[in-house]
Amino acid sequence: MKKEAISVKNLTYTHPDGTKALEDASLEVYEGERIAIVGPNGAGKTTFLLHLNGILRGSDGQVEVFGKSVDKENKEEIIKEVGIVFQDPDDQLFMPTLFDDLAFGPLNMGLKGDKVRERVEKTILSLGLMGYENRCPHHLSGGEKKKASLAAVMSMEPRILVLDEPTANLDPKSRAELIKIVNDLNEREGITVIMATHDVNAVPAIADRVFVLNKKVIAEGTTQEIFSDGALMKANNLEVPDVFKLFEVLRCFGYNCEELPLSIDEAIEHLMRTAEVNGGHIHLHIHEHTHDEVKKLRSEYEHH
Amino acid sequence: MMEYPEIDKYASLDSPMHRFDPRAKIIAFIFLIFSIVLLNDLKLVLIGFLVSILFLIASKLPFHFVIRHLKGVSIFIIPFLVIMPFTVKGDEIFSIYAIKVTYEGLRYGILVALKAFSAVILIFPMVATTKFETTIKALDKLKVPNILVQMLMFTYRYIFVFVDEFQKLLIAMESRGFKLGTSLYALRTIGNALGMLFVRSYERAERVYWAMQSRGYTGSQKTLAEFKMCTKDYVLMVVIIAFAVCLHVVCYAY
Repeated sequence: MKKEAISVKNLTYTHPDGTKALEDASLEVYEGERIAIVGPNGAGKTTFLLHLNGILRGSDGQVEVFGKSVDKENKEEIIKEVGIVFQDPDDQLFMPTLFDDLAFGPLNMGLKGDKVRERVEKTILSLGLMGYENRCPHHLSGGEKKKASLAAVMSMEPRILVLDEPTANLDPKSRAELIKIVNDLNEREGITVIMATHDVNAVPAIADRVFVLNKKVIAEGTTQEIFSDGALMKANNLEVPDVFKLFEVLRCFGYNCEELPLSIDEAIEHLMRTAEVNGGHIHLHIHEHTHDEVKKLRSEYEHH
Repeated sequence: MMEYPEIDKYASLDSPMHRFDPRAKIIAFIFLIFSIVLLNDLKLVLIGFLVSILFLIASKLPFHFVIRHLKGVSIFIIPFLVIMPFTVKGDEIFSIYAIKVTYEGLRYGILVALKAFSAVILIFPMVATTKFETTIKALDKLKVPNILVQMLMFTYRYIFVFVDEFQKLLIAMESRGFKLGTSLYALRTIGNALGMLFVRSYERAERVYWAMQSRGYTGSQKTLAEFKMCTKDYVLMVVIIAFAVCLHVVCYAY
């Protein structure tokens, strides 16, 4: 039986201006899982994440982290377990130098000087930020800032890592690097990862399970299950990964596949397998239905 | 482009002032500043002023950097020099129509201006020769109230972000045909932009506070820093403080 890392039950939150941000949202995350939360703009994703370590508290419902209820009394404990990386690094990095930012969390946890230095050094090494210790956050590039934000949270050694739009505003190299770092943390240290994202192409690479959130949890499932549900995607202003779309198109041309690949790696594997089965060839053709099917697909993918 | 208010732009130079331990530096110069400001004898203030300039020279800060910062301050100091001679009663030097220019007024004007300039000039070797974050940590080590230390720290961190944000607003406005000027329309638009900046700052403050809470912030802020005082620092500090005291001893004996 897998251990529950986070359990959210019937969470309801209303913004101070009266708009409902969350309504009866429930979900469960198990230890060591990688979770993506997708949903349209204004669906309450950020608000939801802020509930996971008790920064915001819902008017109704319950949040539990490793079996402990998130409330005022055990706030300190919860904060040690759940690290949140905010979307804008300028919100996250508020100290004069990177070293101070990395030391901020451990110092607040009551660690002493040498222990704090040890933590900072370890985090800097593991995220490849050597030489940045005395840099001022303002002078870092977007990719560096993002990594630094992650480091500032990781120095507290949380068991659950929560990321808000981690790949937003990153160039492809920084994006790939960030995805790799997060996956490494998950693999090496068994850290549970929860992230809110619009970057559907990144989801297959970075998540095992997907939740669709739009004020409440509308659907949950593996990446394959969620992305295969076209109507669900469209209803929530979402999109499937490009590779997935391409293989749906290929299917119209007679390519035979049950489970559509979601990433380039999966696609390559799939093509290899198909070619092997068919004696080194992949057969595509146009028949009467092809045009209609492609047309139908295109209209499905259009957001109007 | 707007310039960043980088007071510690030349903190990485090397000079006796740069090598001076930040804590000793702060104590010594604060002492000297107060000493000069509290003097009332023109000659002694002049000596204080000249010594301030010596410290400035010893700090090897580039001339243009100092002048640029002094310009702003001058706007507040020069008026004393101009207004005092006309307003203080005393012996007349000459008069323009019915307005008398007095010897006492001139003396006061010069006294105030020299004191103010000395104080500002001493700020350079005190603050501009150390990385600002180190200065902040030194203040913390000197038991300056934590709330003040935090305020300084956040001001320093976010002033650059605000400059950037205002810059972005201006560029967005200019790229839609707005011209910076002093017309009522331009001023009103700038006013709106500033208002927008306040709103954004408010929202950012909230998010920063969330981020701080997420990392266990409970109201007080600890910093990690190590400073080492060596003999040289003690000697320099004692010399500066002794000089500051001397000024007053001489003034009293005089």
